[in-house]
Amino acid sequence: MASFIDFRNPPGSDNRADRLIRATSEPLWMRRLLIGIVLAFFTLFLALPLIVVFQGALAKGLQTFLSAFTDRDILHSVQITMLVAVIAVPANAVFGIAAAWAITRFRFWGRALLLALIDLPLWVSPVIGGLIYVLLCGRRGYLGPWLQAHDIRIIFALPGMVLATTFVTFPFVARSLIPLMEAQGCEEEEAALTLGAGGFEILRRITLPKIRWGFFYGLILCNARAMGEFGAVSVVSAKISGMTNTMPLEIERLYNDYLFASAFAVASALSLLALLTLSLKSLAEWENRRQFEAGQRSLLEPTIETLLP
Amino acid sequence: MSIEITSLTKSFGAFPAVNDVSLKIETGEMVAFLGPSGSGKTTLLRLIAGLEFADKGEIFFEEENVTMKSANERKAGFVFQSYALFNHMTIFENIAFGLRVAPRARRLTKEKIRERVLSLLETIQLSGLENRFPVQLSGGQRQRIAFARALAVEPKVLLLDEPFGALDAKVRRELRTWLGEFHERTRLTSLFVTHDQEEAFEVANRVVIFDKGSIQKIGTPEEIRSGKSNAFVRDFLALDI
Repeated sequence: MASFIDFRNPPGSDNRADRLIRATSEPLWMRRLLIGIVLAFFTLFLALPLIVVFQGALAKGLQTFLSAFTDRDILHSVQITMLVAVIAVPANAVFGIAAAWAITRFRFWGRALLLALIDLPLWVSPVIGGLIYVLLCGRRGYLGPWLQAHDIRIIFALPGMVLATTFVTFPFVARSLIPLMEAQGCEEEEAALTLGAGGFEILRRITLPKIRWGFFYGLILCNARAMGEFGAVSVVSAKISGMTNTMPLEIERLYNDYLFASAFAVASALSLLALLTLSLKSLAEWENRRQFEAGQRSLLEPTIETLLP
Repeated sequence: MSIEITSLTKSFGAFPAVNDVSLKIETGEMVAFLGPSGSGKTTLLRLIAGLEFADKGEIFFEEENVTMKSANERKAGFVFQSYALFNHMTIFENIAFGLRVAPRARRLTKEKIRERVLSLLETIQLSGLENRFPVQLSGGQRQRIAFARALAVEPKVLLLDEPFGALDAKVRRELRTWLGEFHERTRLTSLFVTHDQEEAFEVANRVVIFDKGSIQKIGTPEEIRSGKSNAFVRDFLALDI
């Protein structure tokens, strides 16, 4: 699930892959074989399912496909998905920056434990992530009686789904930032400090701009996972269509109700959201490279140093 | 501005980086901290800047006790070995940074900031580069930008941590001469850390030799070379003289 995140080489750190390929060039047959294997794997496991989803969605014609999105319950599930993501992603953005900052800038007791805990949601099954909140806030949970006495509904309601999603998407921002900030060190922050800048100014003018691409990348991953999460949310949601169903849960319901065309239509919408995030990410990387190359070009103009002895 | 340090001690875990160091630096002096790596000279410089905090002892800027003051209150100009320029900002914004973050009441107007940045670029002989980014400059140019950035806020003291350490021999010598002339002209109290004896003896009015976190010898270059030395100082100076 997390294997596609390159934690050691997040965007924003200088990418060594290009140079590596040139330095260790393999014989032609080896390269062809490797590329062939990768392409075959890619087709079988990534491209084909995506095509099937869209094919399934359009199997009964465009009319049926579009009519799925006039269904009130389905539209509601899209809303719920967006709402959950809109709360969970910013929460994890703030947490991610704070955690990455604390872990890379300070040496404190329990630092290793915190580092390990950040990864926890990646180790455990998302279902457990959901169960934690049922055990905590459910009717028979530790906080259950108190919550009931105050008429607060968490489990089988939106708050529980937001909590579960936040839990599952917890590591993405922090994990994209930690190696990046570790590599960048804190000399620029120290320089800013000696120039009289306060903590907030340093965060705003130095740290955030320095980590913006890695941060953006983490946000996109976090968002993609928040919208696509099934296991954790399915435990804490009452799964009432039109009430507490997110898109993935709605897809399951439609599928179980033999409404294949609608199920695939929602699935394709979810896939489109994923493709959209993917293109946003590519756009960000492309923009980053463009800026860098523009900088490189102006290097060609004569500098003062080449004019002076 | 004069600086006085009284029995300053700083340990990292069990390792005593700076061990009971007392030192007085007069206004307008250029003092070199010389010693092998791990001798505590950089830690002492960082303690003076406020980038580290001492376990024991006190630091005075003139009469003011700054021991517990943070780096952004002390505002000692600090130049890092690896320049530590803000890579996402243009050269202009790098130099202007300290002026832009000043409290509103003391902040200069936009025109005044521009004026000061351009005049600093002229001082370091890099006029015309204000729209470049740090990655587009050579090492020597970057280090001069780092100087200008530190000088922009008109610090009362300049702290240089191995300022020429990452540069090649030729640029090193040029910048060293430039720094000497700059100090002659401005008489800005300056401390610099180096492990290069030639550099220390050529540029500094006074040299402080460190080993294992303690001062081994203090004096003008002549005094260091001639006066009585302990075994460490004799060995250290014999290395390349």
